[in-house]
Amino acid sequence: MLGIVKSIGTTVRAAFRRPVTVQYPTEKKVLPHRSRGFPVLLWDFEKDEPFCTGCQVCARYCPVDCITVTMTDNPKHAQGRSKRKKIVDAFYLDYARCMRCDICVEVCNFDAIVMNNTWEGVELSRYDRTDLVMDKEELLRQHRTGKLGDPFREPMGVAHSGWNPHKEDEGDDAAEVAAQPQPPQPAKPTAAPPEANAEDPGAASEKSAEGGEG
Amino acid sequence: MLLAISSNPWLDALVRLGIVALLLPVGVIWLTWLERKVIGRLQQRLGPMRVGPYGLLQGIADTIKLITKEDVRPVTADRWVFELAPFVIVVPVIMALAALPFTAEILVRNMALGLFYIVAVTGLSIVGMVMAGWGSDNKYALLGAVRAGAQLISYEVPLILTAVAVAMLAQSMNLQAIVGAQHDTPFIAYQPLGFIVFSIATLAELYRQPFDIPVAESEVVGGATVEYSGIRWSMFQLGEFASLVLFSVLGSLIFLGGWTWPLDPDGLDGSIQALLMVVKVAMFIIFFMWMRGSLPRLRIDQLMALCWQVLLPFTLLQIMINGLVLAYDWPDWTLTALSGAGAAAMIFVVYQAARREGVPLAPSAGPQRVGSVL
Repeated sequence: MLGIVKSIGTTVRAAFRRPVTVQYPTEKKVLPHRSRGFPVLLWDFEKDEPFCTGCQVCARYCPVDCITVTMTDNPKHAQGRSKRKKIVDAFYLDYARCMRCDICVEVCNFDAIVMNNTWEGVELSRYDRTDLVMDKEELLRQHRTGKLGDPFREPMGVAHSGWNPHKEDEGDDAAEVAAQPQPPQPAKPTAAPPEANAEDPGAASEKSAEGGEG
Repeated sequence: MLLAISSNPWLDALVRLGIVALLLPVGVIWLTWLERKVIGRLQQRLGPMRVGPYGLLQGIADTIKLITKEDVRPVTADRWVFELAPFVIVVPVIMALAALPFTAEILVRNMALGLFYIVAVTGLSIVGMVMAGWGSDNKYALLGAVRAGAQLISYEVPLILTAVAVAMLAQSMNLQAIVGAQHDTPFIAYQPLGFIVFSIATLAELYRQPFDIPVAESEVVGGATVEYSGIRWSMFQLGEFASLVLFSVLGSLIFLGGWTWPLDPDGLDGSIQALLMVVKVAMFIIFFMWMRGSLPRLRIDQLMALCWQVLLPFTLLQIMINGLVLAYDWPDWTLTALSGAGAAAMIFVVYQAARREGVPLAPSAGPQRVGSVL
């Protein structure tokens, strides 16, 4: 009975609040900074070339095999204008197959790939699905033209970022914080670089073995 | 007083009813838009916005879509029963509108037994629901139709009895006379109990939430209308919204004072009367939509218990109160006081029943025999 009165009151209050929906194609909500659209490549404006060296680590770790990368010698390195010996030659990313798992971003050693956090990263209507296979130019276009704005570049997880909550108040020397042997928080395996990833299971099994003895 | 259209009463009534029957779909088209808009706002959504300004033309777009849609009839359906059912739903509503005055002048026929005629004719639409359920040859349609039959027959009783209580007060079955009797005080003040019962029973009559088990999507996938599409389905929709209007007008006539209260009935302009009626009818319609957006569905045993164990006895109590006050010529305020006490008692009874905890059943020895669903 009282529930009836309450529910009637709730609907009335809801009716006088602002509607949460917007007229989508003409009016868009602000996406969260960590919004995970389809991945795009970043452009190194200082050297005027992609960050990507074509090392293929993303292609190897991609669970759905949607990335194809080839590597070539960097002509700018020969001219002494860049420190990158190798540079990406061709980069194909099949958006039709990608599942936006973020693994390519986590494994990238050069932070050359990010998840697109703009609406363009999710609005991908095409008449032909082969149009969803993006090439290097298309993947670089958004960051190169400044349309990507503020991509979320922080690597996921505590261990990889070097963030230590206990050290936050004392001095903000990033190197010192990063030099700490291990933050007290358990590191997320997905966040760690591949080498750490390989070590983690061993450490975990050691711990569990000790626990079993105790 | 009446605007004469023709000297021949039959022709006159025919033209008037034709105008009503033509305006009805237009009103229904607009009401579907209004309903979606109101429910949307109650859920913090915008509702239809695309077709026309604020989606005003949404109903027209839907109508065009429904009319041009293929009219599918299942192979195993009972042809004539299936195809006639939508008309059996709509025709009684339009027949009822023949006796319903919208204002003192806008009406089709002023019947001496108008109230009786309306409740009698609207009871016919149940035949259409059962025909649709039977003719579809679909188990969900049949279940929905049987539920609709059980619910409508049950809730018809308190609905008619509240109308009887109103007729006792007005000493007339003529809707014009009933409205005329309320120019000082609307009957809602004299019988709050009757008004509450009328509102609840009307919700059930219209298969609206929380009494929508006959047409519940999640239980019987739309009830008797499962197999209907296109123009025939839109006939069901027309019937539903037309009876929504019908009962809203009826409620504002017999409880809210129709086109007279709170203004002086003498010398009231026709447009002012129409405005008063529009406001009162809109209050009813918004109330029905608001309930739809607020309340969850009742179980069928709760539904039946509410009708037969609460509404019906308390409606009879209302009739007894009216009879006592009228027979012994007690002052008017005793009517308000007794009926108000009755309403409070009814709310208290329902409150107690809702709070009571269920008794756990003893575990049965073996598999229980389950009877027929019907």
